[in-house]
Amino acid sequence: MSWVVWRQYRAAAAITAALVAAFAALIVVTGVQAASQWHSSLAACTASRTCGTLSSSTLFLGSHAIGFLVILTLGVPAVLGILAGAPLLAHEFETGTNQYAWTQSVTRRRWLAVKAGWLLLAAAAIGGIVSALVTWWSGPNNALQANAFNPGRFDIMGIVPVGYAVFATALGITAGALMRRTLPAIAVTLAGFIAVRAVIFIELRRSFMTAVTSYFPIGSGFTPAGSAWQLGAGFVGANGQPLILPLSTNGAVIGGAAGGVGLPVSSLPAACQQLAGNGRLGRAAYHAVVSCAQAHGIRGYVTYQPASRYWAFQGIETGIFLLLAAALVAVAFAVVSRRDA
Amino acid sequence: MTWLTWRQYRAQAAVASLVLAAFATVLLVTGFQMAAQWHTLLAGCTANGTCGNLHQGAVSLGSPLGWDFAVLSLMAPALFGVLVGAPLVAHEFETRTCDFAWVQSITRTRWLAVKVGWLLLAAAIWGGVIAALVTWWSGPRNAAFADAFQANYFDQQGLVPVAYSVFATALGIAAGATARRTLPAVAIVIGGFIGMRLWVSQDLRMHFMAPVTTFYGVAANFNPPAGSINTGGGLINKAGQLVTGSVGNVMIDGVPSTSLPAACRQLIPASASGPNGPSRATLNAVYGCLQKAGYRQFISYQPISRYWAFQGIETGIYLAVAAALIAITFYAVRRRDA
Repeated sequence: MSWVVWRQYRAAAAITAALVAAFAALIVVTGVQAASQWHSSLAACTASRTCGTLSSSTLFLGSHAIGFLVILTLGVPAVLGILAGAPLLAHEFETGTNQYAWTQSVTRRRWLAVKAGWLLLAAAAIGGIVSALVTWWSGPNNALQANAFNPGRFDIMGIVPVGYAVFATALGITAGALMRRTLPAIAVTLAGFIAVRAVIFIELRRSFMTAVTSYFPIGSGFTPAGSAWQLGAGFVGANGQPLILPLSTNGAVIGGAAGGVGLPVSSLPAACQQLAGNGRLGRAAYHAVVSCAQAHGIRGYVTYQPASRYWAFQGIETGIFLLLAAALVAVAFAVVSRRDA
Repeated sequence: MTWLTWRQYRAQAAVASLVLAAFATVLLVTGFQMAAQWHTLLAGCTANGTCGNLHQGAVSLGSPLGWDFAVLSLMAPALFGVLVGAPLVAHEFETRTCDFAWVQSITRTRWLAVKVGWLLLAAAIWGGVIAALVTWWSGPRNAAFADAFQANYFDQQGLVPVAYSVFATALGIAAGATARRTLPAVAIVIGGFIGMRLWVSQDLRMHFMAPVTTFYGVAANFNPPAGSINTGGGLINKAGQLVTGSVGNVMIDGVPSTSLPAACRQLIPASASGPNGPSRATLNAVYGCLQKAGYRQFISYQPISRYWAFQGIETGIYLAVAAALIAITFYAVRRRDA
């Protein structure tokens, strides 16, 4: 059976290998450039003690076009699901070749197990290679911008792309088994992949573990260490209830939480507002308003997932997608076993 | 033939209408919320005369859901190309239904012309409806952040999504007619669409017209009209060469003091590398020295007033490529033995 799978997919395997090799060449060339740029910047700023001012606004690493290509790797799992997963069963049904395949000495379940097994393995390998290249390439940028945990970056690095690739391929196989036609299976794969990814990354990921909330005295600031994922920031009153801030912060502002959130004077108790007067805050008035706010028990807060949980989150999300993939493959087996040839 | 095309595609048309309706619902609901938010903001800042600060990042507008849908609209053209364009001819070859279609009283050319014509029209409508919704939805964001000309925002709004959609569909049709199989055609659409879009938006777009370059003094400040795209800029010496360097203790006009001529550099005291930077007097002395040495600053930019010209040029490029692809399709179908 493995030989049949290889014969069926050797052209596709050759094309895929060529594409991955081309991608790797681009990534390695620009990645080495970016890394040497990063090291010479670090050497220069260490010598002049200005490393604190290094930021993405003063230093651009790598190339825009490759940066785009790296973001596009978000779509690799969907492409695998469309081109490899969806036709796996659907194309056999469409052309009637399943009638031939299923009347040989190999049982249907074994036929499907070998095909799906090799294909899911290939999907995992492609997802893993692409992710490894992107993770390595992003090293200097992760160090510079400390954003590896942020939505969008988290999704293209580490082990989650492997989970996505396996899930998308399994989704394609199952959609093909149920719909029996390739094009509708492609549409379902695409829609299902985007929907599941969106639900998990917009709704669920932030609460995989209870977020940490740090409070800090007003007038000072707080930034979570390293590549933390900041979920929210604001101010609470003495009773611990968050203050409702206006949409736009025109007028005088005090305090600065992480993310540049300031507390508009207009949101303070009336007693403190009186101290501010109208127009710009002078230095003395600013300190008076800050101590008044402190006396009223107002504190700033930042809610975040600490950088130390990065790999735990990667593991949880990968686990979710692999479980979904296993469930989908089980459905495909049930459909194929029960279908009349 | 028109009736035949309708019969073949009425199920897809129904599904596409449902998808568009869902898309429209999300954008309309979040769009009205965002517009109301924006009007409240404007009313508030007009009352206390602070509207000038609005665009300085202190505004939060819109909802993540609407935003995600707007970004997803970037791939709507590829979707149409994959699901409608690629199988148009390829699926007929695969199932051999072309053998039947091509031996009727209608010529192949006419068969192809009617199918291609209606489906390209459908692709244009698909792209146009989505673009109209996203453009309307983005109104408050465009006003607040002045970023409609930036990459990605430019690609979601105005005319270009219509042309992307027609191009992706034409690419699918041509790929299917030459590859004769649906899946390879699907792969070609995905690769070709992404490749073409990347190439045009990253390499070509900023060269559609020569950028406007403004020179100004070393002590002056110049900002292009809001929403324009900077394509370059910096400090140049008398010979017109760009002064380089990006990291240093003391920054003058965006370059480290070590990149300046020695005569001007020695005007900077050691205290200038402290946390407060060079004093006003030091800066004035250095600026005077640089001015005497013939130094100037410049900015090159594509002004925001060219937004619609750029939309027109990019639309034209994609429509021209689509026309070429359709010509290839006709050639391939007419030459092929049935």
